Amino acid sequence: MPDDQELIKAHLGKLGLGTRREEEIVRELGEYLEDHAAALEASGVARDDAARQTFNSVSNWPALRNEIVSAETGESIMNYRTKVLWLPALFALTLSNVVLALMQIFGTPPHFYWFYTGGRMAPYYVFVFPWLISQPVVGAIAAYSSRRAGGAVLHQVLAALAPAIALLGVFVLVLPFAMILEGGPHDIHPSAFLILTMTWVLLPSVPLLIGAAPFLRKPQAQS
Amino acid sequence: MLGIDTKIKRGSGELAILALLDQEPLHGYEISKRIAQQTGGVLQFNLASLYPLLYRMEKRGWVKGKWEEAQSGRKRRCYHLTPKGKKQLAPLREEWNSFFQALHRIAGVAHAG
Repeated sequence: MPDDQELIKAHLGKLGLGTRREEEIVRELGEYLEDHAAALEASGVARDDAARQTFNSVSNWPALRNEIVSAETGESIMNYRTKVLWLPALFALTLSNVVLALMQIFGTPPHFYWFYTGGRMAPYYVFVFPWLISQPVVGAIAAYSSRRAGGAVLHQVLAALAPAIALLGVFVLVLPFAMILEGGPHDIHPSAFLILTMTWVLLPSVPLLIGAAPFLRKPQAQS
Repeated sequence: MLGIDTKIKRGSGELAILALLDQEPLHGYEISKRIAQQTGGVLQFNLASLYPLLYRMEKRGWVKGKWEEAQSGRKRRCYHLTPKGKKQLAPLREEWNSFFQALHRIAGVAHAG
């Protein structure tokens, strides 16, 4: 049906395969959906429900678009998760760290807060406020990139939180192992890990999520 | 019913489509319907899983789609098995047969073959 074909066209977007081939694909998919809806109607499903169920049988139109383009062009298929999660996450991680490095290079001073526990100087907070303020942009770009590539909401959230998750990995896994391997001289109070996690993981997560929030939704509209 | 892993489904889908088209040319919906019917619903293809597979097979030259008019006057793109696709069928059958025999030997999985 022409209506189905318009919806398919809107959901698939441009395929970059040439007008003639794209029209053929849209028409063919429309024929399939029409058959599917007719079969549902024949089994007793109401016409409107059949149309809705038929369209909803495709849960991820951007993924279908990628698969079709890949099949048609013969290009190697980039893993779906790479597109929707790893690339946006890597981009967010890189951008976040580049911004932090630039701020340090160009003289934005971090704010240190030292603590004394048991008569010694131990864990501290380090805030780089302008960096924290920049994080919503990083979260927004990551979530948008993931959604545009067809990622689910979970992918979008994880991509946006990538800078914080990477630091969590460093604090939870790398630092303790490094201390064990290197032995005694690093006398770091255990609560340092808690404070590091709070200041470099939990705190940046908030602006990252704030930036991502307006973009968090299912990939493209599903009718 | 247990779901079938996507990669196995894709691989087995190629064999299923070639085997069906070896009998007669079919359009996409009929292909997915027959696969579901003939496998008792174990293998199921919907629009999103079927067409990328068909287009990939068409690109390889195993099948060829042609718009054909049904008796009702409706035009559908029917897929025909090409000589190249026909050549693929026997080795694919053999490959899957060996696969199930190997599984049978190691895990007692019987094949329908």
